[in-house]
Amino acid sequence: MKASRYGALRASAAALALVCLVAGQAGAQAVDGAFPRAWDGHPDLNGIWQAIGTAHWDIQDHPASAGPSELGAIGAVPPGQGVVVGNEIPYQPWALEQKQRNFENRYTDDPEIRCYLPGVPRATYLPYPLQILQGTDKIMIVHGFAEANRTIHMNVENPEPAPIDSWMGRSHGHWEGDTLVVEAAGFNGLAWFDRAGNFASDALRVTERYTPVTPDALMYEATIEDPNVFTRPWTMRMPLYRRLEDNVQVLEFKCVEFSESLLYDHLRRGAAE
Amino acid sequence: MKTRIFGPAVPGVAVLLALASGITAAATLDHVHLAVPSPIEAVNWYTEYLGCAPSNRQADAAACHGVEVVFSAAPTLGGTQGTGVNYIAFSVADLAARMSELEAVGVGGAGVRLQRFAGGSTFSDTAGPFRLAFIFDPWGTRIALVEDRDKLGFHHVHLSAADPAATMAWYRDVLGGVPDRLAGQVNGLRFDDAWLLVSGHEDGLPAPTEGRTLDHLGFSVADLDEAAPAMREQRVEFEAPPAVPDNGRSDAARAFIAGPDNVRVAVVEAGWAGVVRDEFLAAATPEPGEPYTVPRTPWGTPDLQGIWTGDAAHGIPLERPLDAAEIAALTPEEAAARRERGTLRSIWGYEREWRDTTLGFARDAPSTQVAMIVDPPDGRLPPLTPEGEALVAAAANADRGPPAGPEDLSSWVRCITRGLPGMMMPGVYNNGLQIVQSPGFVAIQKEMIHETRVIPTDGRPHLGPNLTQWLGDSRGRWDGDTLVVDVRNFNGKSSYRGSGANLTLTERYTRTGPDTLEYRFTVNDPTIWTTPWTGMFTFGRDDTQYELVEYACHEGNYGMTNILSGARAEERAQAAQQ
Repeated sequence: MKASRYGALRASAAALALVCLVAGQAGAQAVDGAFPRAWDGHPDLNGIWQAIGTAHWDIQDHPASAGPSELGAIGAVPPGQGVVVGNEIPYQPWALEQKQRNFENRYTDDPEIRCYLPGVPRATYLPYPLQILQGTDKIMIVHGFAEANRTIHMNVENPEPAPIDSWMGRSHGHWEGDTLVVEAAGFNGLAWFDRAGNFASDALRVTERYTPVTPDALMYEATIEDPNVFTRPWTMRMPLYRRLEDNVQVLEFKCVEFSESLLYDHLRRGAAE
Repeated sequence: MKTRIFGPAVPGVAVLLALASGITAAATLDHVHLAVPSPIEAVNWYTEYLGCAPSNRQADAAACHGVEVVFSAAPTLGGTQGTGVNYIAFSVADLAARMSELEAVGVGGAGVRLQRFAGGSTFSDTAGPFRLAFIFDPWGTRIALVEDRDKLGFHHVHLSAADPAATMAWYRDVLGGVPDRLAGQVNGLRFDDAWLLVSGHEDGLPAPTEGRTLDHLGFSVADLDEAAPAMREQRVEFEAPPAVPDNGRSDAARAFIAGPDNVRVAVVEAGWAGVVRDEFLAAATPEPGEPYTVPRTPWGTPDLQGIWTGDAAHGIPLERPLDAAEIAALTPEEAAARRERGTLRSIWGYEREWRDTTLGFARDAPSTQVAMIVDPPDGRLPPLTPEGEALVAAAANADRGPPAGPEDLSSWVRCITRGLPGMMMPGVYNNGLQIVQSPGFVAIQKEMIHETRVIPTDGRPHLGPNLTQWLGDSRGRWDGDTLVVDVRNFNGKSSYRGSGANLTLTERYTRTGPDTLEYRFTVNDPTIWTTPWTGMFTFGRDDTQYELVEYACHEGNYGMTNILSGARAEERAQAAQQ
């Protein structure tokens, strides 16, 4: 992985000051100066990262449960501790009913099963690696799943609203001490949060915080605001771990071809009318 | 655009004013002025389908039996829809025959879009005094075709007015239109042979014509110096006072006045011969002799970051046309016409507003490059191997019937990928390319379909041979100012001109100026071609105007559903016939 070749020395003193700045904030504690530094003294987030856990199944506490019976144990849902701070998602009553319907129809309606773009924050904790490229004025996050990618426009003053709604929204970022803070909005309201049917609307705003906690781990927080769906903002939090294999790379997972039977079998030649 | 209020609202007042001044302009309808991407292509279209002829008064115009349709090269905010000019009308001798000819042309290529009447007919016998049909030109101008055997060619302009009586009075009083009844039935104004008809606008004040495809109407008067004071007396607003334009082709003056209903009106005087075409934007090439220093990232590599587009390169053929063996470069006019032909082939039916506001290349001078292939030097693909010939023949003989399922369609139609080098190729839209670098990596994100390549430049070896991908496996290195990328491990499921799994692709990315990124690609598939071959084109930088939008291709792939359900319907219809 990239050692702190670029500015580690000149950044070390600044880093100490930055640590002091963020130390009092809720959530993750910033790492000490051992975290790699980028050319500009900020933490160097370049690398390949992955959430380890079961949030992609269900962001709340969930016991083990059966999947499609023909897949036996490999289709079953593993148990997991939730990543929602306090474990409660403050749904409005109608939205809780919608979430239940989503769950019941998850094997056809989940955007993931259709190979649709996963949205934010779901892309972050899908069970695939993601690569962060920290450019000079943009940070790109590249996902393998469905060719999802995000461009985080850094340090834009008074950013305009997204020109159009989209699955992945538009992201603007800035540094608060050693924490990369990303405000994402402009969503189309079609993405889910997990395979359990948790969801938001196009009023969704996500505030993400990426904070180095060890040289090989970031604490990831996503605060969810959506007055159309929830009664108050809420937060999920989980670590992202650095993938340490020498040769690791984000491989393409162009999943469209694996969704085509689900989506189009009824239109194939010979399909039952 | 500001809204203009036009008086007088009461026609009688206007008549009094006109009588009081004692002078009306007695103008004739001289031209309608359209903004199009390529005047050459537009003159051809009006000549081919509406019986006009290239004007011998001015280039970039079609003479249409007394009235000229004049073209300038400019992007627009859309077609005529919603403006104060509802349509322009041409008369033909046999409308039924003409419409079946135009229907056979279809909307492919520089085609013709028909508006059908209820019941599906392409013309109506009951909609007016004449047999009537509507078509659109490829640039969004609504055109009526009427069958008035007494007056063939350009026939009339049909305005859409907030207050038709006031509009009629304005054109009568300011420009001297003669009130009359067309075919004894429809109240209108005659300007010599051409008619001006007016009907009510359904939705308040029409949108301004300025900046749309039909930018303005042009009327001609004998002497503008004499006509202008009379117009001023009638409180006509001059947007541009009478003057001989700097780029005028004659000594005749021109003025622009604000017509009712946000219709822009030019008034020209006798002897007007148009203006010299605006200079095309100079192609984005570095000044010769000025060395360009490629900027560096803070960590020392050449800095390719930013947003680039292939818009200027859209239209360059891969192979040099056989009749262009001796041509070094196209003229800017030829390049504009070539790109317009390519655009029309792809997206004819798309709305002009979408086209010109969405397609970056409306702002970008098209490349004058003759062909992409630079090696072999003749610009042609090298000979096929025997196996390549067999594969090409097999592909040519493949079943072209309705697709049985998604797998029978291309990976582009399926929203999977355009492959390599296909995904780098300029297309008709969504040409954005964003490059972000970090130490040891270059990411290239393409807007079309949305695909991102992350290219390591840290010297790591390729993936193992069993791990293949649609876009292969890219490895980069810096060669001076150039990023050199070696791509292999293709899965062979998407092809470029016949390439397969044995393809190795070598790409070279070089900034040749502040706003130019040269892209060279060498295609080597010894299964298919007897030698490697190399192509080249240039991306233009567009950081200020362009933001890549999310091309959620698969998520919105209604085309796939429609293609497959259409195929099944076709099969059912065939089965029912047997």
